[in-house]
Amino acid sequence: MRTACIAGLMLSATALAQWPEYRNAKAPRTVEGKVDLSAPAPRTAGGRPDLSGVWEYMRPPGTPPPPPPARATPGAPADIIPLAVRTSQFWNLGASFKEGLPFTPRAAELHRQRVASNSQDNPDAHCLPLGLMQLHTHGQPRKMIQTPDVIVIIYEANAGLRQIFTDGRPLPKDPQPWWFGYSAGKWDGDSMVVETNGFRDLGWLDVEGSPLTEAGKLIERFRRRDYGHLQIEVTIDDPKAYTRPWTVTVHQRLMPDTELIEFVCQENEKDAPHLKGQ
Amino acid sequence: MKLSRRTVCALLLLAPAAPLAAQWTDYPKPVIPRLPDGTPNLAASVPKTPDGKPDLSGIWETSPGYTGNIARDLKNGEVQFQPWAETLYKHRVETMSREDPQARCVLSGVPRENVVPYPFKIFNTNGEIVILYEALHSYRQIFMDGRPLPKNPNPTWMGYSVGHWDGDTLVVESSGFVDNNWLDNNGHPGTEALHLTERFRRRDFGHIDAAITVDDPKAYKKPWTVNLKFNLNPDTELIEYVCDENEKDVNHLVGK
Repeated sequence: MRTACIAGLMLSATALAQWPEYRNAKAPRTVEGKVDLSAPAPRTAGGRPDLSGVWEYMRPPGTPPPPPPARATPGAPADIIPLAVRTSQFWNLGASFKEGLPFTPRAAELHRQRVASNSQDNPDAHCLPLGLMQLHTHGQPRKMIQTPDVIVIIYEANAGLRQIFTDGRPLPKDPQPWWFGYSAGKWDGDSMVVETNGFRDLGWLDVEGSPLTEAGKLIERFRRRDYGHLQIEVTIDDPKAYTRPWTVTVHQRLMPDTELIEFVCQENEKDAPHLKGQ
Repeated sequence: MKLSRRTVCALLLLAPAAPLAAQWTDYPKPVIPRLPDGTPNLAASVPKTPDGKPDLSGIWETSPGYTGNIARDLKNGEVQFQPWAETLYKHRVETMSREDPQARCVLSGVPRENVVPYPFKIFNTNGEIVILYEALHSYRQIFMDGRPLPKNPNPTWMGYSVGHWDGDTLVVESSGFVDNNWLDNNGHPGTEALHLTERFRRRDFGHIDAAITVDDPKAYKKPWTVNLKFNLNPDTELIEYVCDENEKDVNHLVGK
């Protein structure tokens, strides 16, 4: 049974609510009045790219469309998680790695256990914070707000708030371990390069539970290539969980003329006691 | 064991307060004016944004004492309940707030976020003011681009807020709240008819005076206003707050 996974997905019920429309007076527009997503990326008064906006996850460009779901064999348990979901970055961050992710033996065993128990301990399914990579690949949008000395990311999904300090401070040497870690960023040309450490141990990078340990460090390169598209190249360097650093690229597109909606995971939450492993 | 009201309040506070044991991260900000001994000069003048308006940015914490009763400074008769709201308020007080949604890790909402004993961080950005609340990892956006309040918004705990400047005072109007709102730990009710007006004035570098007017004709016969003070928390940062982590308290809430 994959009830746990389904329950995890169902916590996104707010996605059924209505995102409010509000026309952004500053956005570049086509002659039909639509936001021109291929216009140049906006810039701050200081001349840097402005990453601000409401962004939604998109499948990596060039990803072949998923094949239609296979017909279930009579009598066999139905495969209720569509292949498109199981091969998504949200489900498996290493979906595009032919050999799989370069797990250390200990991480491979933990990953195996998490998959075998239908991800029933996925923090997201218990209204606990998602990991940063889960938040990058989540179906619910996020809003980036860029100020001169800090970039704030408000994730619509379960209480995700993140500050990326861009005031030149170094990463702390022995930080309090946090779900979201401690992030400091600097500009490299038109890319915002963010380093994050201070994660709690045994975090989840995806629904399958590819781990991230307290030894892990994330290096993210955010690049807004035009008005409507954001690319985040992420290198995960975690010698306790992976035999070498590895890199994935996440793509997001602008959700123009709208806003985040409120999401309260715990409100009338009845699912968690029903999560089942195999 | 019969618990006093104070004990239950303490329990309610402690339920989500685990991060208090953690350490706030110190980081001295170069832009803070300082006295000769290096301590922040909280009486220094108010910083301004490039357009000449007061800059409310910073990490703030409300003067304590209003968490239980947001209206504690008001005289008898200033808060005039509608009959059903008075019944509900008495019920919440008598049952020691055991039905409080916040004790179940649901958002505190607005204006209650102004009286919880946790810091919040205000950001001034392009066209909006954003507040991150340490409590319950919540946030609020105050749109400053001249948009009106929506006519029929999706009801939310934090409401929908628009702001404008009245001289040096930021005036924030909010509506679109949920119908079962709690304005404080005691449980002053708020309904979907709540219209909130907040006036924020940064008096000097280290202090904001806040006047909050509750206009909710479904719950109260006339509007009432509370005055709060926000104090700057210099050289530090918010810490992570995860209400639901290892949460074991809710099953032990007692009440009559």
